[in-house]
Amino acid sequence: MSNPATVASPRTVANKSEKPALLGAIRMALEIESPAVRHNTQAFNSGRYLATAAIPDYDRLKDQARATKEAAIARLPELLATLEASVKGNGGNFFLAKTGEEAARYITKVCTDHQARLVVKGKSMTSEEVHLNLHLEAAGIEVAETDLAEFILQIADEQPSHLIGPAIHYSRERITALFKKRFQTDLPLDTGEELTRFAREMLRQKFLNADAGISGANFITADTGSIVLVESEGNIRLTSQLPPLHIAIAGVEKVLPKREDLAPFIELIAPSATGQGLASYTSVLTPPMQAAPALSDSPVQREFHLVLVDNGRLQMREDPVLHEALYCIRCGACLNSCANFQTVGGHAFGGETYSGGIGGSWEAGTRGLLNARFSELCTGCSRCVMQCPVRIDIPWLNSNLRERINECDLEKSGSILEKAAAAQFHAKAPLPKIFFGRYDLFGKWGSRLAPLSNWINNLPITRALMERLVGVDRRRQLPPFASTTLSSAARRLSPSKASSCRGKAALFPDIFTNYGSPERGLAAIEVLRSVGIDLVLTEVSADGRASLSQGLIKTAQQQAQRTSELLLKYIREGREIIVVEPSALAMLRLDYRRFLPHDVFEEIRAHSFEAVEYLWRILQERQLNAADFFSAFRHPLGTRLFYHSHCQQKTIGAAAPTEEMLRAVGFDVATSGVECCGMAGSFGYKKDFYDLSMGVGEDLFNQVRATEAEGERRTLVATGTSCQEQLHAGLQRKVFHPMELLAAIRATAEI
Amino acid sequence: MSSISSPVRQDLLLQFEAAARSAAASIERVPYSAESLAAAVKRIATGRIAIAETLDLPPDLFADLRKLPGLVRGRSKEELAACDVGVTEAFAGVARTGSVCVAVDHDYSGAISLLARMHVAVLSAETITERPGDLFNPRYLHGKTLQRNFVFITGPSATADMGPLVRGVHGPHQLHIIILE
Ligand code: SF4
Ligand code: SF4
Repeated sequence: MSNPATVASPRTVANKSEKPALLGAIRMALEIESPAVRHNTQAFNSGRYLATAAIPDYDRLKDQARATKEAAIARLPELLATLEASVKGNGGNFFLAKTGEEAARYITKVCTDHQARLVVKGKSMTSEEVHLNLHLEAAGIEVAETDLAEFILQIADEQPSHLIGPAIHYSRERITALFKKRFQTDLPLDTGEELTRFAREMLRQKFLNADAGISGANFITADTGSIVLVESEGNIRLTSQLPPLHIAIAGVEKVLPKREDLAPFIELIAPSATGQGLASYTSVLTPPMQAAPALSDSPVQREFHLVLVDNGRLQMREDPVLHEALYCIRCGACLNSCANFQTVGGHAFGGETYSGGIGGSWEAGTRGLLNARFSELCTGCSRCVMQCPVRIDIPWLNSNLRERINECDLEKSGSILEKAAAAQFHAKAPLPKIFFGRYDLFGKWGSRLAPLSNWINNLPITRALMERLVGVDRRRQLPPFASTTLSSAARRLSPSKASSCRGKAALFPDIFTNYGSPERGLAAIEVLRSVGIDLVLTEVSADGRASLSQGLIKTAQQQAQRTSELLLKYIREGREIIVVEPSALAMLRLDYRRFLPHDVFEEIRAHSFEAVEYLWRILQERQLNAADFFSAFRHPLGTRLFYHSHCQQKTIGAAAPTEEMLRAVGFDVATSGVECCGMAGSFGYKKDFYDLSMGVGEDLFNQVRATEAEGERRTLVATGTSCQEQLHAGLQRKVFHPMELLAAIRATAEI
Repeated sequence: MSSISSPVRQDLLLQFEAAARSAAASIERVPYSAESLAAAVKRIATGRIAIAETLDLPPDLFADLRKLPGLVRGRSKEELAACDVGVTEAFAGVARTGSVCVAVDHDYSGAISLLARMHVAVLSAETITERPGDLFNPRYLHGKTLQRNFVFITGPSATADMGPLVRGVHGPHQLHIIILE
């Protein structure tokens, strides 16, 4: 660890193109902002689960929104031309700004032409992106941010920490302190109501006296020149309708073809963002509206300017990967559902304007690749993927950013050793990325040389070296290499004992199970064979998860290719593929769609199962009573469990079967409610992220503690290897794989 | 999907009421007449009242309302901002979310529904439709909504930016919906 340096302020670490700023930002966030961020994002997160569950055709809406966005971005230049004509036809003005600078200058000129002295503003990330306030203020115009969160940030001079809740990192207490200091008032400011009333009174005057209002726009429709404004405070309605001059600024990607296209978006955005059916106010306007109320009795004629910002977006549109980010409707669901984001918020997991999993692509596109360095905080856990209303594959975007940043870093600052390693492994990446990305090779050699390799591994000098060279935190213990790998151990097992064959399957020894924790694989084999599964083992092959997570995409692609050929052989023999490690299974069921022809992917997806998932399915298909095979009451450690399912396991829908199975055989199962344990594969091993990883883990550890406070101790159970490591690190207790529980029950039966 | 000429669907009406209440709006049903409407508003409204003109409803329906004491006729920002109650028509209701739709540039309905501490929205029961997306269907209200500047209003204005949830921010603290039957 570096010295306990003084805690940074958000502005000084807004630009994280260099690593030290990123690390400083993480420290700052963990120290100051974490409790408020956690509380607020988790409230949004549970609200969203409830609200989206209440939409009967949620999936259909998402498909529809996605398709509309795809078509809109594909036709964007044409839509922009249509939109320009519509806005002008309505009597408004249209300006397409190539750069942020151009947008800010245009708006400033419109305001100065009107001799505007006071401008009220609604929340707009795009205006933050183009530094609009700086330009306006330089022209002597007073800017009043009227969204209460932006109001706080303006006083504090900080950048937003969340796409929809820009001051989500402020607790009520910190706001009180900030207002007291800034306004030197004796008014009571100790409750949310008091603070809100204070800000309302102050801003009401600004609204009434404002010469111009500047808003963003959530959606824009080309055919009618309409804009949609979503909010809950009412400040955007006032901004857009009270002053005689209204300027809306938005990125070009906000344009949809037709007003009718708005339907799915209106129905998705509020549930995804704040967990409401609709936000308090969703305005659908086609400006300029006729007249604004005036200070005197006679109404004034309105003027409207729509300023669309390119600033790199049209180039993103040409990018084979980043174009997907243009579908984003900025709902923030991917932030709220992200365990890392919940722990540090957007001042660490974010750039100068955009934050969270999707933020990296936006910073890369609008500012530059290295500004996306914070996207390294994306562990690829995939929890956000199903939450995105336009189905953006956020971890995929981040893996690609990682690949590009790796290349840059290697070229800029790689040592000779690193460059040699990169050449050796055919991967343009710094050494730590190669180390974690090629666990297949390290695991193979580590296992061959075990126990010597483990002994070496545990030497203090090795740990220090590992920390320096490849960035493994010395407080973490890498899982020991198994001296007997799963594939060699399995050869010694007797084949299926059961008389009847209830299913044919092939267990794929993923590299984590094979080299790191063969006992889980052995348990799975024993259990499956004991219920009459004709089970063989496939050859070992790296599935690509490790390399993909480090941004070694080409390696992952080759590994996917090889693995798929291997698996298809077994599938075509009529065998289902069983995978023990959920991250490897998620590769097969989710990520392979990026790497394989569609039909091959579909075939593999349909025939791949998590071990317990497969077992539960067979028992149900054959209408067998699970408890006849595995009665929980025979388990030596008792029937009370705490089960934590793996992040990717949840995403691919392979978590519920384990819970059902364990309950069906009589276990009393408490489950974790966290999105991710914080270890997330190799993430938590890295010295740069150790504290963050343990911070994320805290939620999980606390849930275990809270559950146990209500009764006696529970046996800890986890399906993912890294979750197991994390639980062990946090609670210093043994953690079991569900198959190990079942195998233990079978063992007592056989005695 | 319902349309303006269809009879009131009781299931939608009930769903609407429940959703509006859970969005923190208050709600009551009132017989379809100028007198009943005026009486209902009189029961809840005190102080200065701004009343916008009707849009799809017949103008007569608001006639008695205009006889209430405290009526504000001016349309300047300051006059409207000084009102205690703003009454507007809501030309549609949304059952699933409990939202009412107000045409904002019709006789300053935008400002009237926003600047006062209480907004009273007058809704005709047969305009209640199932879901927000229906407002973008060209057949709904014969496509009228596609030309309108309007806002879906779902409960009073609110914020969580100052810590706990607070109702009543830049807009009304209270949304009262009167359903005409
Ligand atoms: S994949 Fe996981 S870590 Fe990455 S952004 Fe999504 S939720 Fe966050
Ligand atoms: S990427 Fe998806 S989930 Fe994230 S903010 Fe954008 S639309 Fe919402």
